[in-house]
Amino acid sequence: MPKSPISANTTALRDETMLRHVRQLGSARDGLSEWRLQRMTAVALIPLGLYFAASVLWLAKSDHLTAATWLASPVTALLVMLFVLAGIAHALVGLRSVLLDYVHTRARLVAAGLIIRAAVVILAGASVLAILKLFLGH
Amino acid sequence: MARPPNRPLSPFMFPVWYRFQITSALSILHRLTGIGLAVGSILLAWWLISVAAGGEWFEATHAFLVSPIGVLLLFLWSVAFFYHLCNGVRHLAWDAGYGFELRSAYRSGYAVLAVTALLTGLTWLYVFLA
Repeated sequence: MPKSPISANTTALRDETMLRHVRQLGSARDGLSEWRLQRMTAVALIPLGLYFAASVLWLAKSDHLTAATWLASPVTALLVMLFVLAGIAHALVGLRSVLLDYVHTRARLVAAGLIIRAAVVILAGASVLAILKLFLGH
Repeated sequence: MARPPNRPLSPFMFPVWYRFQITSALSILHRLTGIGLAVGSILLAWWLISVAAGGEWFEATHAFLVSPIGVLLLFLWSVAFFYHLCNGVRHLAWDAGYGFELRSAYRSGYAVLAVTALLTGLTWLYVFLA
């Protein structure tokens, strides 16, 4: 006697996933939260990105002292930190979706995902540390 | 059992199997600029570290950024940044349900290209004139 699809689902999937199926919310895994993270960071990056680009343009021909003083001020330190973190989170989701499209072996996908995550954590950590050093040393 | 014919496989359909369309070209460009910006974040982190380290580090980074290769990288970064920003706004509009008609998709596509060229042009005009 064939199992009913519903009882098969209850053994295979988590409660949360079942709830999403019931509510017909689409993705059965983490797609929705990734989608939301990508859009939220995208919206945040519009003002943050424009602010950073304008600031760098203004700094283009200034010396080290001007750049260091600028980066050490509280508002700048906060905004640049948010820009870096939002940008890197946005990049992580984007790069992972590129990997999903082009890397078809499970092992390679996991390996590439780990490398990207490691790179992203190092870049974010180094950037935040650099900003904190200037901010706290000010 | 007969083998299936050797059909082209997604995603490498463009431009060999598909006719060139501005919409799909812009979509691919969005991805490429996104990857470029992700790689460019290494330069961003490096610059922040050099400002924090100061001294020779900052001098070396500055010297690299004003060298021909540095300026080329910054130019590419600025094009990628403005394009991804403008086309990202276009994507957000689509997510909100606006501009799906073919006519508006083409129009917004050309608008994205125009605004990207304008912003990039103004940026580098400022760099070289100010």
